[in-house]
Amino acid sequence: MSAIRIDQLCHTYATKNKTVTAVDQVSLDIGENEFFTLLGPSGCGKTTTLRCIAGLEQPTSGSIEMDGVVVVSDSVLVPTHRRDIGMVFQDYAVWPHMSVFDNVAFPLRIGRKLRRAEIASRVEQALDLVNMSQYIDRRATQLSGGQQQRLSLARALVRQPKVLLLDEPLSNLDAKLREQMRSELRLIQQRIGITTVFVTHDQVEALSLSTRIAVMSGGRVVQEGSPREIYLEPNSRFVADFVGATSFVAGRALRSSPDALVLETELGTFNCRPDPEILPGASALVALRPESLVVTDTPGERDNCFAGEVELSLFVGEGVDYRINVGGQSLRARGSARAQFDAGDRVYVNAAADDCVVLLADRADSADTLGAEVADAHH
Amino acid sequence: MTELRVDTRPAQPPTAPPAAVRRRRRLTVHGAINIITVLVLVYLVIGPILMLLLSSFEDTRAGVRIRPPFPWSSANFTGVLGDSQTYRVLGTTVVFAAAGLLFAFTVSLVFAWLVERTDLPARGLVYVLLVAPTGMPGLISAIAWGLLLNPTNGYVNVALHNVFGLHGSGPLNAYSLPAMIFVQGLALVPLTFLLITASMRNMSVSLEDAARTSGAGPWTILRKVSLPLLRPVLIGAGIYQFVTVIEAVDVPLVLGLPGHVTVFSTQVYRVTHPAFGLPDYGASSTYGILLLTLAVAPLLIYNRTVRRAQDFATVTGKAFRPRRQRLGRWRWVAFGASMLYAAVSFVLPLLVLIYASLEPYIGSISVSSLQHMTLAGYRKTLSTDLFVSSLGHTLVVGLTASFAAMLLSVLLSWIIVRSKSRFAWMADVLAFIPHAIPGVVIGLAVLLIYLLLPVPLYGTVWIIVVAMATQYISLGTRLTTGGIAQIQQGLEEAAQASGARASQVWRHVLLPLLRPVLLNGFLLVFLATIKNLTLPLMLQSSDNVVLSTLIWDRWDYGDVTGAAVLSVILTAVTVTAALVLRRLSGNGEQI
Ligand SMILES: Nc1ncnc2c1ncn2[C@@H]1O[C@H](COP(=O)(O)OP(=O)(O)OP(=O)(O)O)[C@@H](O)[C@H]1O
Ligand SMILES: [Mg+2]
Repeated sequence: MSAIRIDQLCHTYATKNKTVTAVDQVSLDIGENEFFTLLGPSGCGKTTTLRCIAGLEQPTSGSIEMDGVVVVSDSVLVPTHRRDIGMVFQDYAVWPHMSVFDNVAFPLRIGRKLRRAEIASRVEQALDLVNMSQYIDRRATQLSGGQQQRLSLARALVRQPKVLLLDEPLSNLDAKLREQMRSELRLIQQRIGITTVFVTHDQVEALSLSTRIAVMSGGRVVQEGSPREIYLEPNSRFVADFVGATSFVAGRALRSSPDALVLETELGTFNCRPDPEILPGASALVALRPESLVVTDTPGERDNCFAGEVELSLFVGEGVDYRINVGGQSLRARGSARAQFDAGDRVYVNAAADDCVVLLADRADSADTLGAEVADAHH
Repeated sequence: MTELRVDTRPAQPPTAPPAAVRRRRRLTVHGAINIITVLVLVYLVIGPILMLLLSSFEDTRAGVRIRPPFPWSSANFTGVLGDSQTYRVLGTTVVFAAAGLLFAFTVSLVFAWLVERTDLPARGLVYVLLVAPTGMPGLISAIAWGLLLNPTNGYVNVALHNVFGLHGSGPLNAYSLPAMIFVQGLALVPLTFLLITASMRNMSVSLEDAARTSGAGPWTILRKVSLPLLRPVLIGAGIYQFVTVIEAVDVPLVLGLPGHVTVFSTQVYRVTHPAFGLPDYGASSTYGILLLTLAVAPLLIYNRTVRRAQDFATVTGKAFRPRRQRLGRWRWVAFGASMLYAAVSFVLPLLVLIYASLEPYIGSISVSSLQHMTLAGYRKTLSTDLFVSSLGHTLVVGLTASFAAMLLSVLLSWIIVRSKSRFAWMADVLAFIPHAIPGVVIGLAVLLIYLLLPVPLYGTVWIIVVAMATQYISLGTRLTTGGIAQIQQGLEEAAQASGARASQVWRHVLLPLLRPVLLNGFLLVFLATIKNLTLPLMLQSSDNVVLSTLIWDRWDYGDVTGAAVLSVILTAVTVTAALVLRRLSGNGEQI
């Protein structure tokens, strides 16, 4: 059974002189104990979708079911405080007039009557879970950003809700703390088994944490699938571009069979991952991930190999980022840190057929309208 | 377990499906409270205006009718507008207000500059002494100046006679327009000074430095940079104080009435409460409408200025030490002038009141008169039942009106700031209107309403409470709207998401976080209500005498010692309240 079922959700904000459609016909089905991520560029409607699930926003149309019960539809509205949720807000929303203990105890105190000792032990458990027990007596305002973050997570978990809603909970942390919290979050979620909806615009977070991802753009879900599917089989130029830095090469399908797909491009012929949907003659794009391209100084044995010249070479620690000019096109590649080519070096770019995903050009074009606003979010 | 439902329809530019834009609405508890709050406000705010319009367009010789058939008539307007006295009153009001403002703003600007931007000695002391008179009600400073400057036996006049060997009345006359302007101007200084210093302090010196490095001299900088930067606050404070001047009856009543100098507010009061005969409510409503028009026009500008004032990026938030202008040998001259001003504006009136309260009869100050000082006046005045009941009434009015005003304000502000309700703009407008209605007009309208409605409020203290709450909603909402806007919405939503009902969100999150603002607002409104003479006087009966009306009554009756005793007591209360307020809020910059 699904834990959250969203059907044809629409939400429009009415501003002074126009209406903004923030969520447009979104349908999702989130299973029990899933770690489900809404991924998308700024302003694509992730927060609004999450707030509709929480009941903080009343959708214009559509319905949401939680645990088999309709919480919002044309005829029903269950207010936020009656929904069995825990929520972590982007800006923590830690109450400054309460201590750490009081903050975490709040959801227990206002609900059904619990004994003092019971409350205390559950608060301690929750704080333990996020490694915050030593701060129990502090005032909430005396915590660092990361500690407030964890406090806010403890507060969301203490009621042991069915559903945990997380709105970019890691966005305000520094890189190191973010990485640490990321793994803690995943561990906690697995340990207590709780359906989680996670909102982020960070593809690394999304890919590493989720069981499933919905990529949103302009209020719509453009692709939904496992991290692997989203990364390896993007269904549109938008997804390919947003999730990972991708280079595109335009071309036309020459041959298509269940075990081979060959494209004719400006760079030459491309052996690509087979896709029965692509018919010979169709115009299409080859999407190339930087890390699937191998840069060598001699021609390789791969399915595809092209000669080019290094335009830009940046050492980034874990590797080298290249911009390589191949037949007038600029391709991004990621090389090993061991051997670095310099700008101006003549090199060969190699790619395995399985790493070359083909997107139909019309599908890709339709995503361009979305891609435009995405471009700046991405850089 | 899960089913993939990938949306593969080609994405279109998002357009709102027309049928889906309609929002579903359900009545929640919060919604009900919102609606009730707005309705109460409509009743409190729109009711009086309608009442005023109704009675000014009726033939009120047989009383005001609130049910059809209405005896429509334009006689009130033709009568009032055809009377040459109306134009004389209008002229006097405008001169009184304009000159009072000019006086107050000149003094305030000079002292604000001295305190904020020069190396004046003892700046802290000067600041406190200039702000201290906030605690002194206008009525009381008018009485003090009446004692000092009245033409027959005012202390100053008597002293001048003795020194220069003059005879007859004068030379100074408290009961004249210039004296009224002077006393009103003094009364306006504290708040004006506070507003200007606050804005000067926040003004970034880098803007002045930029002008200086561009080769501008000090005088050019003042004209081209500093004053233009201060313009929003000058206009805002000017228009606010303009309403303060034209709405109040205290100074015009104490100093204007004996010399037959009439302004609009006293005109409304006199027509509503004539010494002889029946009140002419039609005429007084018409005067009220004229006064309202006079107040509203500038307030519309005020509203625009305040809104645009946020565009002026003068507040940098960073603490900085402005370079102070060296005054050189003028330093001590300026200090002397400051002390002299403080003595004249605050210390002198206070001493005179204390002296008069200890003297059995008014006369010149001499060694023998000082020997006759006695507490008999206190004993006599404080033992009367009227004093006890008026003190009780003052407290009841002050506490309940401040409570009601703050309660309505906080609900209203929540609607304005937080609710996505379509009533939000209405709430905003409703909260602003009472600010634009002069107090004497609110008093008149509330009087008319409860004269006619079958609610037993007329003549009780509660009618004063209603009027005060209405009048001070604007002040209250200004504070609470700021307060709520500073609380991140997420704090409320986090409580909701933790399972808190609306009432629990208020109790555990909003109210605790708003406590300083609410306390501050409560004290501010409390202080304003107990200083207020206008409303209790317009709504007076023998059963709802408060301290301020009692003081006026004693003074009007000729019991100078009694009036002085009560003035000393009321001043002690208000100055204490003002000090507590400043201690609590740490700043008195709110209007
Ligand atoms: N209260 C509001 N009134 C009007 N428009 C709004 C409001 N809140 C959001 N929007 C608009 O709705 C759209 C979606 O907003 P939303 O907050 O859901 O985006 P988001 O995906 O969470 O973005 P981000 O990653 O920046 O947080 C945006 O275009 C935004 O401008
Ligand atoms: Mg967001």
